[in-house]
Amino acid sequence: MSSVAGGLAYFLPAAQLAFESTGQVITVPSPSPTQILLSPAPSTPSPTAVAVPGAFTVLLLGSDDDSKFNADHVLTQSMILVRVVPSRKQVTMLSIPRDLYVHLSTGGYGKIDGAYSYGGPGAAIATVEQDFGVRVDDYIWVGLLGLVKLIDAIGGIDVVTSHPVLDDYYPADIYGGWPYDYERVAVLAGPQHLDGIHAMQYVRSRHGDLQSDLGRSQRQQQVLMAIRQKAKLLSPEDLPALSKAIGGELKTSIGLSRVASLLPLAASFDNPDQIRQIFLISPYTHGGGPGGSLTADWNRILPLVHQYFP
Amino acid sequence: MISRVVLGGVLVVLMVFSGTTTYIFLGTKTSKVAAIPQKPTAATPRAQATSLPGTLYLAQAGAIYSLRVGRFHQLTPEAGWTQPSLFPDGQRLVAVRRFASYSDVYIMNTFGRVQKAVTHNIAPPRREMGANHWAFYPKLSADGKTLWLAYDEPKFGYDVIFSVWSMPIGGNIHQGKLWTNADDYTGGDVQPIPLRQGGAIYTKYSYGPDIRLVGQLYYVTSLHSVGRALTTPGEDCRSPAMSPDGKQVAMICTYEKQISYLVVASWNGRTLGPRKKVITDQMVAQPTWAPDGSGIAYLAPAVPAGPFQLWFLPKAAYTPPVIPTPSPGAEASPSPSPAVKPIQITMNNGFDATSPLAWAP
Repeated sequence: MSSVAGGLAYFLPAAQLAFESTGQVITVPSPSPTQILLSPAPSTPSPTAVAVPGAFTVLLLGSDDDSKFNADHVLTQSMILVRVVPSRKQVTMLSIPRDLYVHLSTGGYGKIDGAYSYGGPGAAIATVEQDFGVRVDDYIWVGLLGLVKLIDAIGGIDVVTSHPVLDDYYPADIYGGWPYDYERVAVLAGPQHLDGIHAMQYVRSRHGDLQSDLGRSQRQQQVLMAIRQKAKLLSPEDLPALSKAIGGELKTSIGLSRVASLLPLAASFDNPDQIRQIFLISPYTHGGGPGGSLTADWNRILPLVHQYFP
Repeated sequence: MISRVVLGGVLVVLMVFSGTTTYIFLGTKTSKVAAIPQKPTAATPRAQATSLPGTLYLAQAGAIYSLRVGRFHQLTPEAGWTQPSLFPDGQRLVAVRRFASYSDVYIMNTFGRVQKAVTHNIAPPRREMGANHWAFYPKLSADGKTLWLAYDEPKFGYDVIFSVWSMPIGGNIHQGKLWTNADDYTGGDVQPIPLRQGGAIYTKYSYGPDIRLVGQLYYVTSLHSVGRALTTPGEDCRSPAMSPDGKQVAMICTYEKQISYLVVASWNGRTLGPRKKVITDQMVAQPTWAPDGSGIAYLAPAVPAGPFQLWFLPKAAYTPPVIPTPSPGAEASPSPSPAVKPIQITMNNGFDATSPLAWAP
């Protein structure tokens, strides 16, 4: 019994995080009446596509959660729709541009990154579901600092950074001080081992990229895959240290038992060719929308989405 | 008869011992993925590792180290030092010291004593943040009089890019010459390798046909001339390194994927020959030719997703020996490539994979 107590004490931080952060209830806010949808009604998914056993879709959300924002009213700077088909060991990642101009589930129109700030994860999920015609099973939300701490807790990641990322106007808003300050960053190019802070600079900087947020989305998916690669080396005994590191910076609707069942699944995905990455660049989206937003060409986007997210 | 108090006490001790042991035991079962790399001076190379010729200079955690006869020596404190490069005579180094908002190139002796700052990139007082500058990838010309570097000028607001510059080693950047016209919003042009015949090979970042940012080796022959591509966008290459005889180029190519290959190609002074992938199963970085031509050193993780270690690839791995043919006058033919494998020199360090190595005879 005392051994069990020792084990429980060891895993206490993991259990605490599990109870605090996992199994979050998704509350879908009631939308205000809006008759016009920007996107056409989604087509009915084909029965054969739906029948893939065990397949599920998760919405990954990443936010600036610094002091510029009130807690739980943050923008989601990163939105990645991930479909996992365990039987085929297949993963599809679709980056949704944060500036995409959509009909929000809470009513009205705006950039899609505002959905979370108006109605939490439920609103973000409902907005994605209604505009993209997909079903989202779960969500995972990570704050900026959570990403930094997570990557440090797993000892850094190996990434081939695509180009030198130089930014003279990178937000210096993570570690206190005036949240509207800027700093200079330079992430050099090529294969390298990145710690949390430099990985965050790599995925967050957008001023030096002609594709701005779209270029950043590509880098975010790169880092996600590098984290997955490193996660394959983790053991259950690492969970307490990881939990301590990212406590408060992670929320998910995935329950504890499901997290446990997904861990071995993550390790089994070892073929990079089975990981499909999709970015909604031109001609799927184009600039010039209201308030600097991106306008969607839903006639192109929806068939693409329904093909890979049936 | 044992009293209840004693029995209770023993049981309490046993329970505390058992619980603590379980807690500690579980702690020993962690994956060690977050283990901090050892300082090179604390973890000498494996005894059975090849003793590399000459002196190799590397960077880890903001310090520069030398490796000579199997032993590391720390030359600088951990204070942002990176990217060492040798003077042609091998008696001095140039290296970059990186600060929060800028970086400068310094001259130091081979014991790490700083002799002179070559650039002065900190912004003047009361100037905006963008008045700072970055200088990286210093390399000296064959006569040791000209410093080549990547420098973030010109830049325009958000469009901060590197360009290739040269400057007199005894002068300042205002006497420098701008060699390349970097593409906007790409990261720019970096890693110049000055050539004996003049001009330089460098890495240019630009948008490929699929509008992804890719690296290409370029060759610029003279000031104000347009650089010429040596590799294709699809190869996505960077980090050129010229062999000591000037006839081969080693580089890192990724083919736009999250992998990297060590590729060697012949160099005729104008173009690169057929590519040969010599390392294909590691995330390899910073190839550096041995000055005696005996092989190529590079950095790569020892385990997937781990910190970067020092490796050495013997020449036989990429240059199959030529077997003399019995009939006089007939052409020699290369023998089948022997299974020569790279040698892992260090085990648990964490070298800076963005820092080129320097190798003195």
